[in-house]
Amino acid sequence: MSGLAGRQEALVRALVGGGGLPAGFDARLVGAAAKALLRKRSGEIVRAWPELAGSEAEIVRWAEGRPSLGSWRDGWEFAREHRESLGRDALTALVVCEVRWIHGGEPRRRRGPVVRRVPGGAVFGAFGRRVVLRR
Amino acid sequence: MTGVGIGWRPEIAAFVGALPGPAFTEVVAESLHHIDPALLPDVPVVPHGVKLSLGGAGEVDPARVRLLAEAAELVRAPLVSEHVAFVRAGGLEAGHLLPVPRSRESLDALTRNIRLTLAELDVPLAVEPIAALFDWPDDEFTEGEFLTELLDRTGARLLLDVANVYANARNRGRDPVAVLESFPLDRVAYVHVAGGAEHDGLYHDTHAHALPQEVLALVAETARRVPDHLGYLLERDGDYPPAADLVRELDAVADAASLPRIT
Repeated sequence: MSGLAGRQEALVRALVGGGGLPAGFDARLVGAAAKALLRKRSGEIVRAWPELAGSEAEIVRWAEGRPSLGSWRDGWEFAREHRESLGRDALTALVVCEVRWIHGGEPRRRRGPVVRRVPGGAVFGAFGRRVVLRR
Repeated sequence: MTGVGIGWRPEIAAFVGALPGPAFTEVVAESLHHIDPALLPDVPVVPHGVKLSLGGAGEVDPARVRLLAEAAELVRAPLVSEHVAFVRAGGLEAGHLLPVPRSRESLDALTRNIRLTLAELDVPLAVEPIAALFDWPDDEFTEGEFLTELLDRTGARLLLDVANVYANARNRGRDPVAVLESFPLDRVAYVHVAGGAEHDGLYHDTHAHALPQEVLALVAETARRVPDHLGYLLERDGDYPPAADLVRELDAVADAASLPRIT
């Protein structure tokens, strides 16, 4: 690994991976850049998961020190970890997502039939299709 | 490309499509394969890459270079653009453009990666110096010297972002016009213009706030120093304002550059 590769990695780790500040950098300015990256990432997560709108500040706190898996998977992880406190639309979006995809590592499509409860109804999924039914 | 344009984004597709006379547009290169080309206005389209990581210590990913070359073919682009920046390292994505150290080692890495990219492209490449809140502790060159050397070595052209010049100068207490003059202005392919906002005492080049007068002043300074009429492109990437505000900003850019209004 060349010096540059190692130094770039240390900087990215400090910015988004919870790593320490590499020697010689201005802590205030790198900290401001890290915060700006978190705000941008939070906005991208909400674009991928519009049902999480309003949770941006919470997402920023959650994302700190946690490297990104991409905005859609980040949103999924956030929603899973906040399942108990999600609003009705966000919880429905999470259940619909999990009817379609199997969580863990690279997401895989669920093939067999599945039924999950959502607030006020249920989601049925099979063969890549899904239907939300509400009372 | 001469005249004023605006960056095409799905959220403002209807606005951009309805403009009577944009000179050109720009599309985020990594999104081009998901866009129906019929949605784009019938003007030159520049694919603008954001994830190639030309400034990364390692070699550019050939698949990403191919994607950029395919994007250029897809829209018959007159040129493509990317950044003097890196976006990932050690398997970690930074999520945005990060500054490279202005060192010899970094120049070598950028030169190699720009050459690898140019080898796959049938059109010219313009590279954009970024807005950065911090610098590396061991910069050996000024930004102007670094860019001039990089363009000399690679034959790439300059995508001059006057909002980045303003942001960097303001946050470092420098004169933006002096910074502008230190850049290789004889090699400008086109110009980016964007808004930003101050946050905790630092100016952030957000592309999601109004265009400050100081950035418009740099448009005028650029037009004075580069008398061949250039292309000036307004970038907006979020918190999209009402159409009337975008019209006002596009008119202000045209007026500052002494170019015809496109609205």
